[in-house]
Amino acid sequence: MIDRNLARGLFLAAIALAFGLGALRYPLGDFSRAGAGLFPLMVSGLLLLIAVATVVRSRLMKNGPPFEFNPVNIALLLSSLCAFALVSRVLNMTAGIVALVFISGFAGTAKYSIVRNLKVSVGLFLVALAFQKLLGLSLNLY
Amino acid sequence: MMDLLHNLAFGFSHALTMQNLLFCAIGCTVGTLVGLLPGLGPLATISLLLPLTYSIPTNGALIMLAGIYYGAQYGDSVSAITMKIPHASSIVACIDGYQMTLKGKTGLALFTAGVSSFIGGTVAIVVLTFLAPSLGEVAFLFGPADYCALMLVGFVCVSFVTTGSLLNGMAMCLIGVLLGQIGTDVNSGVPRYTWDLPMLADGVGLVSVALGCFGIAEITKNLDSREERSPFNGTIHLMPTWAEFKRIIPSALRGSVIGSFLGILPGGGPVIAQFAAYAVDKKVSKYRDEIGSGAIEGVAGQAAADEAAARTSFIPLMSIGIPENAVMALMMAAFVIKGIQPGPNMIAGHPDMFWGLVASMWVGNCFLLILNVPLVRYWLSVFKIPYGVLFPSILFFCCVGTYSVNNNLDDIFVTAAFGLGGYLFSRLDMDAAPLMLGFILGPMLEENFRRAMLLSRGSFSAFVTRPISATLIGLIAVFIVWQLAAFLLKARPQPQPV
Repeated sequence: MIDRNLARGLFLAAIALAFGLGALRYPLGDFSRAGAGLFPLMVSGLLLLIAVATVVRSRLMKNGPPFEFNPVNIALLLSSLCAFALVSRVLNMTAGIVALVFISGFAGTAKYSIVRNLKVSVGLFLVALAFQKLLGLSLNLY
Repeated sequence: MMDLLHNLAFGFSHALTMQNLLFCAIGCTVGTLVGLLPGLGPLATISLLLPLTYSIPTNGALIMLAGIYYGAQYGDSVSAITMKIPHASSIVACIDGYQMTLKGKTGLALFTAGVSSFIGGTVAIVVLTFLAPSLGEVAFLFGPADYCALMLVGFVCVSFVTTGSLLNGMAMCLIGVLLGQIGTDVNSGVPRYTWDLPMLADGVGLVSVALGCFGIAEITKNLDSREERSPFNGTIHLMPTWAEFKRIIPSALRGSVIGSFLGILPGGGPVIAQFAAYAVDKKVSKYRDEIGSGAIEGVAGQAAADEAAARTSFIPLMSIGIPENAVMALMMAAFVIKGIQPGPNMIAGHPDMFWGLVASMWVGNCFLLILNVPLVRYWLSVFKIPYGVLFPSILFFCCVGTYSVNNNLDDIFVTAAFGLGGYLFSRLDMDAAPLMLGFILGPMLEENFRRAMLLSRGSFSAFVTRPISATLIGLIAVFIVWQLAAFLLKARPQPQPV
């Protein structure tokens, strides 16, 4: 399994390169008349230095903790958020709430309960209704 | 001196009328309740509740708005401490406040935040009363190079704030600065890193970053560890012991002084204040080794600084008519709607309003304390809810909070993306608090850096020829040398015992 320190260094390098190479697409100018790309290029250069230092350190310090990543729960949570946004746009926010609760309910729980999800959905609908009526939030609930 | 006391007494005579007391209480209560919702910080809360004040007399309306502001700030720290869902004003509260929650000390953390806010607010009101007319001019002394140096000092604070290594903290700060570059470049109008997506043209929202990196990442971490997280153990440890109380006071006083000064400075002042107060505590507190793992000082200092900065941020608005941040711009709009032009003539032209508002700040502080201490047990009841019910609800609040900023459902996708980012950061042991600091200060740093370089025709000498920036850069240099020396001393081989 990949070392966590090494993973961190590679991750930082990826971000630095993504922003640094992206900055080259914009005008750089000079210090007296800086273009849109100069500042992000400077910052990503600094970040790349830190990334390289992190990678080197991870090579020097053997037996770092392993990098663990469980994609299931985060995937379910992000799906539920995206489902909320999509369903709210296509139908309405009430359906969006139901989608959010029923999809996120699969995450991290041993027993999936439809009844509990229905109760939570009704509760959240009432909260949303209160937001709409009392605070004037523009929620398209129906 | 006597004049000032007379003016203050005049202010209290206005603030303590039955009607104004009622408006102050309503403002604090509603502000706290709305501020509790994840994603709805003081700015969103004031903009949502501004229409409530249209039909209220001018004095009462301004007092109520100020109450909403403080209430929202306190409410914000409640969601940061109990659920690790912060807004700009409570990022640092997430660090030790949430650690205290994990140790079952939520009540104590909330009480500490409330009392420290009270202390911070009180100190700031003294500053406001005595120095408002003259301190407003301090903002004029700062040029672009000085602001740039101030932001760099803010970044140096990262080394104290971060719970991991200094290198990680700096890296996260730089990532925050880079994320702040997304959107249209204000100088040239060039869209940067937007991938032609209209929703990114105005940049990434602070709410999306905060909810994604803290809220969603934390829920996923809890679900991964399959913890039925319930630090509420049936007993509410609310009041601190005398020993704990003695730890709160010095920390809160230090935070109050730092916040009172930094709050005056435009832009990132109040944000830097909480980080700076935390950094100072981590360096000088007797219990500095505990800070970062749920120490009472980690909550007290930053809460006091945040509250003090919120109060003194009124100084530039009321004394020179310049709003120093978005919340103050909204307050200025409220002043203008009510037919008052904030500025040098406000104190002379509307003494009842000015001094009434100053006095009502203290009254509002008392209300918040009276209101929130008994309510802590209700905030704690959130832990009685089974996590299987709680986390979909938090996700829903995250969605509503994100959506309500621009009434745009696309922002939820951005929040989801930052949720993934936040989860990755947590798995890589990278603290998200420095990222928030970089994200907030980054655009201001760039703007001031470019402006300073333009004025100095590309010469870096601008940073060392101005007294303020030279002093700040000197401080940074001393800090770096100090850190290097500490590192080298630590690395030196220890003599072997004979």
